[in-house]
Amino acid sequence: MRSLPRGQMRSFMEAYVARPQGLPPIDVDAQSDFIEEYLRAGAPEFRLAFIACSLGLNLLSIISRGKTFSRLGPEKQQQLLDKCFNSSNPLIRGMAVLPGFAFLMSYYRRPEVAVPLGFDSAALKADAELRKVSRDRDLPAREESP
Amino acid sequence: MIYKLSDIKSDVVRSADVAIIGCGAGGGPIARELASEGHSVVVIEEGAYFTRDDFHLDPAEAYMNMYRDAGQVVTLGLPFILLPMGKTVGGTTTINSATALRILHPILKKWHLTHGLEDITEDELNLIYAYLEEYLFVKRADPEVAGKVATTFLAGAEKLGLSCGWLPRNAKECEGFGSCAFGCPSGSKQSVDVSFVPDAVGFGADIYSCCRADEIKVSGGKAVGIKGRFLDPRTQRPTGCKIDIDAKMIVLSAGAIYSPYFLLRQGIANSSGQVGKNLQIHPASQATAVMDERMDAPKGIPQSSYVDEFKGEGIMLEGGTVPPEIHAMALPLIGKRNAQAMVAYPNMGIFGGMISESDSWGRVVNLPRRGYRPAILYSLRGKDVEKARAATSLMAEIWFAAGAKKVLTPITGHYELSGQRDLARLERSRIKARDIFALTAYHPLGTCRMGGDPEWSVVRHTCESWDMDNLYICDGSVLPSSPGVNPQLTIMAMAMRCAGFIEEKLAKQP
Repeated sequence: MRSLPRGQMRSFMEAYVARPQGLPPIDVDAQSDFIEEYLRAGAPEFRLAFIACSLGLNLLSIISRGKTFSRLGPEKQQQLLDKCFNSSNPLIRGMAVLPGFAFLMSYYRRPEVAVPLGFDSAALKADAELRKVSRDRDLPAREESP
Repeated sequence: MIYKLSDIKSDVVRSADVAIIGCGAGGGPIARELASEGHSVVVIEEGAYFTRDDFHLDPAEAYMNMYRDAGQVVTLGLPFILLPMGKTVGGTTTINSATALRILHPILKKWHLTHGLEDITEDELNLIYAYLEEYLFVKRADPEVAGKVATTFLAGAEKLGLSCGWLPRNAKECEGFGSCAFGCPSGSKQSVDVSFVPDAVGFGADIYSCCRADEIKVSGGKAVGIKGRFLDPRTQRPTGCKIDIDAKMIVLSAGAIYSPYFLLRQGIANSSGQVGKNLQIHPASQATAVMDERMDAPKGIPQSSYVDEFKGEGIMLEGGTVPPEIHAMALPLIGKRNAQAMVAYPNMGIFGGMISESDSWGRVVNLPRRGYRPAILYSLRGKDVEKARAATSLMAEIWFAAGAKKVLTPITGHYELSGQRDLARLERSRIKARDIFALTAYHPLGTCRMGGDPEWSVVRHTCESWDMDNLYICDGSVLPSSPGVNPQLTIMAMAMRCAGFIEEKLAKQP
């Protein structure tokens, strides 16, 4: 069973990631699949907390604005997130912060996002392949590497 | 041989001189030492076995494969503290930053005076440390490959006249691929999986990965073996195959969270009532700088430098750069503001400040939970909240001295510092634990502490249980307090000592 319906996943993802300038848009399907996998790999309480926080944000949205989170416009969504995040109540703050971990991780781990930011894991891995370290011999100088 | 899950087709029944639960900084060195003396050694490790070829600099994959609960372990208390721990052959050493420091002298003195551990002498420890440093190729981080974040931060610290330098690391010919916490892709980091484990196997030790211990077999008040089962490492589902080992000596090395949990579940070795108590961790704050120039954070050694001006007061600053997906989560900004900040990621530098001597104590508790998980109770108290604030202010001050335009902190009301005025306001502020947005913590310690008094400790200075013959506990849990620095080298030193005592005891047995 999915943690959140796809529509809700999309609206939270859009609000949390907020498409940084010059970077690609969110990929709801791929990121949702990753989030499900990531949550399944962890403690069940973490997944429950993710669901509870998302529901909590919806509830807060209904109480304060009369609409669910996904029906708020982007501006109002940001205002609600900011309000929760700056709350002095750690529970309300945590409610806004916790789901963000999964949404942000799912977005920034994508190579098409990470590479423009300077983190090219494939290139680093390829370089590391050429510079394998062994306990019983020293590496050749870089210019001597194959 | 290292057995992977695919090698196990039926139940395993065998005997050995020594059976070890857990293959990290405690279990790995003991396995190697005893196997090198010709003893038969079997190690079971709950995590899977990975090699350099499996490390793809993918943090999320690493979390799901090599971290306990996919890196989602949190403490119950204030503030919200994320406590990452390794679960793989090599334990947390496979995913740590390779910082290899010796215990601080005053802390060893405190262990002598407060915990009755005079038998652990400084001379003996220094000999072991020296051996380990040579074996693990420990040397200071190379400034040439450390990366811009570290050199910039140290320049700021030097400008302020603070004591600082390059960290000693167990890494051979490190070229700064920026991925220590996700498995070293070049094999440079001398974690237990690339040092002690291959050597132990070379001497004949057998290591069963994906195998969780269920119980220590007890007969006549003595530990006589281990029972366990094989699990799918990702889903935790049992495969149906079990393991049953008879052994003369048993070593529990499951780490400072899972060793006490194991003992509490089985209800053994706890006549002192100290098992699970006295939990110490190193909570860490951070400060993120936005600079004019590029920092290129992922390149270089993630944790290569330190500022130890206030180590006597329990504050150590140690650098820690992270890839974008972790960086975004660490920023104290949400939604659009997080996105705006992340565009400047190439110009950002992040540094960590650890409370290396803490006044807060937590507890590992066996509460009914789904799966195999203890509850970790921990709240930041008293002076530690002040230390977290002081560490954060200090890092911000250093970043500004290094030329930062802006510094982001995890303290509510002080998320964005734009200059000296904001910094002064943070320095003057009095904060509570609830004002900290989130912390991470590392190095759980102390939950099966060693000591000279069986009423107040769980094991002797030899790491043998006060309550049960032939049961040794050896990992971070036996350190009676933080060594004041990253503890991996001290845990390994205790393991080398412990192996010596086991060897002596085995020699006396028929």
